[in-house]
Amino acid sequence: MTESFPPPGYISSQSVIDGIEVYLPAPLEKEIQEQVVDFSCPQCGATTAFNVEDGGLTCSHCGYYEAPPKEVVGKGAQEFEFTVETLERSAHGWGGDRNEIACQNCGAVTSVPIESLTHTCAFCGSNKVIQRQAIRDILRPRFLIPFKIEAMDCREIARGWLGKSWMVPSKLQNIADHTNFTGVFLPFWTFDSKTEADWKAEVGHTKTKRYYSNGKWKTQTVTEWRWESGHVEENYDDLLVEGTNRVSHLLLDSIKDFNLGALVPFEPKFLAGLQAKAYEVPLERGWEISRQQMREHTRQVCRAQASTPKIRNFSMHMDYSDESWRYILLPVYLATYNYADKVYQVMVNAQTGAIAGQRPVDWTKVWLVFAALLAPGVLLGLIGLITIPFGGIGAAFGFLGFLLLVIGVVTGIVILRKAFKFDDE
Amino acid sequence: MPDRESDIDNLKIYSVASSWGREFVAAVCEDCDWNFLVMPDFQTMNCPYCYQSSLKSIPEGEMELPNIQAPELVVPFHVKPESMGDGIKRFTTKIPFAPKDLTSQNLLSRLCRMYLPMWLVDTEVQAKWWAEVGFDYKVVSHQAHYDDRHGGWSSREVEEERIRWESRLGRLERNYHNISTPALEEDLVIKQEMGVYKLEKAVEYQVQEIENSFVRLPNRDTKDAWVEASPAIQAAAAEECRQAACADHIRQFSWKPQYSNNNWTLMLLPLYTTYYLDAEKVAQPVFIHGQTGQIRGVRRASMKHGQRMSFIILVIAVFIFLMSIILAVASVALPILLVIGVLGFAIALLTAAGAVLPIALVWHFNRRQKSGPPRYFS
Repeated sequence: MTESFPPPGYISSQSVIDGIEVYLPAPLEKEIQEQVVDFSCPQCGATTAFNVEDGGLTCSHCGYYEAPPKEVVGKGAQEFEFTVETLERSAHGWGGDRNEIACQNCGAVTSVPIESLTHTCAFCGSNKVIQRQAIRDILRPRFLIPFKIEAMDCREIARGWLGKSWMVPSKLQNIADHTNFTGVFLPFWTFDSKTEADWKAEVGHTKTKRYYSNGKWKTQTVTEWRWESGHVEENYDDLLVEGTNRVSHLLLDSIKDFNLGALVPFEPKFLAGLQAKAYEVPLERGWEISRQQMREHTRQVCRAQASTPKIRNFSMHMDYSDESWRYILLPVYLATYNYADKVYQVMVNAQTGAIAGQRPVDWTKVWLVFAALLAPGVLLGLIGLITIPFGGIGAAFGFLGFLLLVIGVVTGIVILRKAFKFDDE
Repeated sequence: MPDRESDIDNLKIYSVASSWGREFVAAVCEDCDWNFLVMPDFQTMNCPYCYQSSLKSIPEGEMELPNIQAPELVVPFHVKPESMGDGIKRFTTKIPFAPKDLTSQNLLSRLCRMYLPMWLVDTEVQAKWWAEVGFDYKVVSHQAHYDDRHGGWSSREVEEERIRWESRLGRLERNYHNISTPALEEDLVIKQEMGVYKLEKAVEYQVQEIENSFVRLPNRDTKDAWVEASPAIQAAAAEECRQAACADHIRQFSWKPQYSNNNWTLMLLPLYTTYYLDAEKVAQPVFIHGQTGQIRGVRRASMKHGQRMSFIILVIAVFIFLMSIILAVASVALPILLVIGVLGFAIALLTAAGAVLPIALVWHFNRRQKSGPPRYFS
């Protein structure tokens, strides 16, 4: 009994029996954290921020550099179960509306919204990362994908995106050069589950029958309905559901192809100088959205198992198992620009560079193109009308004009529909 | 060690008298080698285990008695002879050609009370321990149902119980009392045959409890018994560590114990024994669990009875055969008799073949029984 006891990494725990000591593993140091982390340069005291280029903390004043954390956990990042306690806590939210933050740099006290995970002091410009209290540990973001694309690159991406379509006004490419892209970590839930479903349905098999009627043999197509059943097992891995309602789901869906293999454990350093939002869509709601997607997909798989696509009285029973979730932060750039007194949103996936957004339509261009498409048909039609007295050549012109007019109208409608869709985004 | 001699010649009264509350004689059955403590007037008694011969007293110095303190606990007889009627009746019935002596009355009238020993050990333990402890928690899962005819999807929430395992370690300084461990080599077989005893029903030893009873002496010393006692102590310690950690489960418990002040005592378990004489006049023991009334013993069919029955059937077959021959001879005068003669001949053959059945039945029944005395629990 001479060796030290307990071994390192264990702390004493309450024991309810005299004569028995109990020790449990000490919580990881990472988990004992300050509520607000201030990022000031240890060399000069200026503000440090996350640098997308090298993935570390840098001081723009003295050039101080702090290497980034190396650990990448990817899809192996820890997942959590749907315990009754977690769901209740998630539904309860963060409590309160705002956080009061006292800046350690200049002493200013600022009130920030409860869902903000970062804050830059308006008085001295210092960056802060707000961490949640230990009691809510499980419901704080544990993993994130760091920014891989710089804000400056977004302008280039936006210019290319805007220039891709002839329908947008030419001036927009210049606007892209002056648009400010703001890096934001948005909250997401990821969900895993297995589903097992038993289905049954009446499946229609079409047959052709010959019969004799009124002195003739005739054929008739009939559908024979037979009961079929089956079993389907599906695995769903990392279904992404947005944890915020503050941004357009339509745009977010278009850029959601994040590579979760690049997930890293949460470090306040990754958030320094950037904006980050905590979830507003509670875990249970997110899980409900995810379940709806899973069950609908499983239903499609069940229906596909039937021997023909003709199905009626379809029913299925489905069990979810091994359900788990993660709360992660994913990087996007958000930007808005004004054109013709209207505000348009743009969103860039800060990992892959995928871009989505609203673009104005230059209707003058669109109508001109439409008119140009109709013009040959109309022109030839007119020539045909004039040359009708000359016999067959007039008819040929008329026919060709009519054909070109039809082609022009169809193409024009396609372009108009595309333009309307553009305008609606 | 004997402290005085009784009035009976060669009988040794052992020192257990002072702690047990009365005098006992150590005796042995030379057939089955079971040792007992019995009342000093035991000499006319048969061995209550094998019933093959009388018990013999053990002269001083010829047998090293285990270090026997008075029993600390006794599990009293719960089943009374009056309530054993049905069980004993079931034991004695459905035996082909049962021995005459195998009757309920005989078994009940020959009932004998015996106590089987178990070691109890008290010990003080100092240890370091490691384990994984489990905490129950609930998770929420879902089930969904879809039906075209009933408006699409419906779903319901279900809760499932799960265990979260966490590591724990610690130190322990505890006393463990009355950890039971086998005192007989045959303990496992006895438990398999008779069923386990509810040890929590044990009461403090009082000499009245063992009046008119045989007490089987341990044939395992405490050193051997410790091999089984230490896992039992470990199990008790694991359970206490689970409670100390406020956990619902514990697994992979390991420890480095240091034991001190081991104190060994006995606990006595109740067993009735009785016997019947089979056809060869060999005593066949029958055992009855003193708590549950479970009956075990060799149920032996009588081969003599079987042979007698076979002989009778054979005689009948011979008689039919002779009659058939007579009828066959008479058929010279009356041809119709030949038919009856042939029929009789066939019946005689069948009957003769059937004569083997009683013997085969007895042989088959006895073959399925456990081997008889002197070692039923071996």
